Amino acid sequence: MGVKIERFPGGDYILTTADFMANWARESSLWPLTFGLACCAIEMMGAYASRFDFDRFGVIPRPSPRQADVMIIAGTVVKKMAEPIYRIYHQMPEPKFVISMGSCANCGGPYYDSYSVVKGVDKIIPVDIYIAGCPPRPEALQYAVIKLQEKIRRLKPTQSNATPDQEKGSRTW
Amino acid sequence: MTFQEVLEKIKAKFSSITVPEPSPVKGYSTAKLSAKEDLFPLMKMLKEDLGFDYLDFVTAVDWKGPVDPKGYIMDPNPNPFLPEGATPQSMPEAPTPGFPYRENFEVVYALTNLKERIKIFVRLEIPRSGAAVDSVVSLWKTADWQEREVFDLLGVIFTNHPNLKKILTPDFIAGHPLRKDYAHVKDQYD
Amino acid sequence: MSRTSMTEKVELANPQERTTSNELKTDTMFVNVGPQHPSTHGVLRLGLTLSGEYIVKAEPEIGYLHRGTEKLCEVRGYHHCVVVTDRWDYVSAMPNNLVFCLAAEKLMNLEIPARANYLRVIMCELNRIASHLLFFGTYGIDIGAYTPFLHAFREREMVLDLFEMVSGARMTYNYIRLGGVMADLPGGWVEKCKEFLGYFKQRLPEYDDLLTYNPIFMDRTKNVGLISAELATNWGLSGPTLRGSGVAYDARKADPYCVYDKLDFNVCVGEKGSCWDRYFVRVREMAESIKIVEQCLDALPAGDIMAKGVAKMPKPAPGEAYAHVEGSRGDLGIYLVSDGGFNPYRMHVRAPSFINLSILQEVLVGLKVADFIAVLGSTDIVLGEVDR
Repeated sequence: MGVKIERFPGGDYILTTADFMANWARESSLWPLTFGLACCAIEMMGAYASRFDFDRFGVIPRPSPRQADVMIIAGTVVKKMAEPIYRIYHQMPEPKFVISMGSCANCGGPYYDSYSVVKGVDKIIPVDIYIAGCPPRPEALQYAVIKLQEKIRRLKPTQSNATPDQEKGSRTW
Repeated sequence: MTFQEVLEKIKAKFSSITVPEPSPVKGYSTAKLSAKEDLFPLMKMLKEDLGFDYLDFVTAVDWKGPVDPKGYIMDPNPNPFLPEGATPQSMPEAPTPGFPYRENFEVVYALTNLKERIKIFVRLEIPRSGAAVDSVVSLWKTADWQEREVFDLLGVIFTNHPNLKKILTPDFIAGHPLRKDYAHVKDQYD
Repeated sequence: MSRTSMTEKVELANPQERTTSNELKTDTMFVNVGPQHPSTHGVLRLGLTLSGEYIVKAEPEIGYLHRGTEKLCEVRGYHHCVVVTDRWDYVSAMPNNLVFCLAAEKLMNLEIPARANYLRVIMCELNRIASHLLFFGTYGIDIGAYTPFLHAFREREMVLDLFEMVSGARMTYNYIRLGGVMADLPGGWVEKCKEFLGYFKQRLPEYDDLLTYNPIFMDRTKNVGLISAELATNWGLSGPTLRGSGVAYDARKADPYCVYDKLDFNVCVGEKGSCWDRYFVRVREMAESIKIVEQCLDALPAGDIMAKGVAKMPKPAPGEAYAHVEGSRGDLGIYLVSDGGFNPYRMHVRAPSFINLSILQEVLVGLKVADFIAVLGSTDIVLGEVDR
């Protein structure tokens, strides 16, 4: 999708679509919920820290789901934790996105045959971006945020209130 | 006080305790109990008279046999590169011939004397059905959570424990997962 | 209820009884510090019963990261189990690998070459530095100081660079294997490590300036969460949490493994058992780890890094073994039972964070809510080890 901006001669006015402005605002200040579950959380903390700074993307961690845009599921989803994850996801206000970080959150990971691990967080909540790795590097997490920003650019917020995945839903129970 | 003196004192007071030679746990000495009633008095003597004031861990071993594959959630053919019907790589092997599998739990305690730096293991075998042991929480408070874990995962009941309930597994998992014959019941997240 | 000073522990009568005619009838409030919380270091749930600002009862609830690794290891081969061990104490993964390999090598009666032993010690001590840096950063955030976190992570990234050069991974290394280590040091690693140690030695006084002797930090942690030595040994604590109370028990000195009996280092011990003492022990341990790594780098012998004769799918003879190491969190032990097959018959992990966490039921009673965050942070738990 190309960027539709027209600059009027004289420089004081630009012409663009409302979709573009809304998407630009949303993608440039994605505030994730601090939701580190296991080892991937340490790499997520590394992404926020000095070397792989996340603030340059506009990403600031928020502790409360009511103030967050995106939920980064970093770590193994255990059956005992599945219900809290579901409740926290529904406490986040729209528009919201989910990034599934690491192989445990994607599909169960190294615990694929365990009695107490949910085989992928997309059995509980809809996921927008999956990151592979065990654990993925902080640069991979930042690349996922870039991909999420590209996904947000394709949305049409003036036409519907939900992301395409949320309209369909990918929940199985 | 050396190791030998500790073992002599134990054997003098409790006649039913054996000290197997060589020790089953390589490098550390073991005292093997044969009567359940001796456990609490022996622990009391170890703590108060012989100075073993640090309980390392409490655990239990299920000696039934190789683990039942039904306790794991296995995709019938998870590896798309394997031909249909091939056995997955991580499965328990067949039982070792000649190994003494038995229908018992064995509760294992490890105690340390911090000053003398000696460690001793205490073991007790109890039958599988109706497995119950005295709790040592009144001696070492660290046994609180560790005995709860053994109860949760294996089903051994500790009498006189102040708060014996599940600690690690969620409430909807009814069985005791670490038992060798645990068969997983499909729940809503599978 | 009489309160003489703001930081003393308070004896509470039953808050729901009306004791005298001019006392108000009060009620307790239940506050859930839930699984998702920025300061619980992972998914830990604490049910706090509060009377005003003071905690009457604290019930930690764990199991939100219980992955069932003890059962999983019963269907994995010995080499595959090493992968699983990384993910217990994921902040410092080398000692986890090491303790499993020590237990399995005891079962198999393997002799480890000298160079592998020195490399194991170097990696474990560097990992202790990385883990204590993370503790330093996150403890600062818990107390409210957001800047030291960035300083700590700047140094931690340098240590992770060293680990990436040698093993390929930043966090879950799978480097210490049965029989030795996975790969030898690449060219230039020893120089880079010495450069890092020289740089890091100058940073330690900076950390003292930032947090250790900061008056606000000391006010918040100096008289908070006092654990006496008898209470600590009775509750089975280990690691810096135990040494902060004055008990000098360190598995590297009590039961030496690898080459620790040939090295010269001190065991750091606190005095009163307050949060500040436990923090102080960890900061001083970083200096001791630097000493150990320098001695090992100087004494590193040439030779093999892997013992001969380790099968691809090892089948140790029936028996049992127990090995314990001084992990960054405490005394990490593995009790391994083999019945002669390819898989371990039973593996039990003596997890230091699980046991250190259980003392919260007793220590938190009578503290204020703000102090409980300080106490929880000072026990330095990692939920992967608590729940396994």
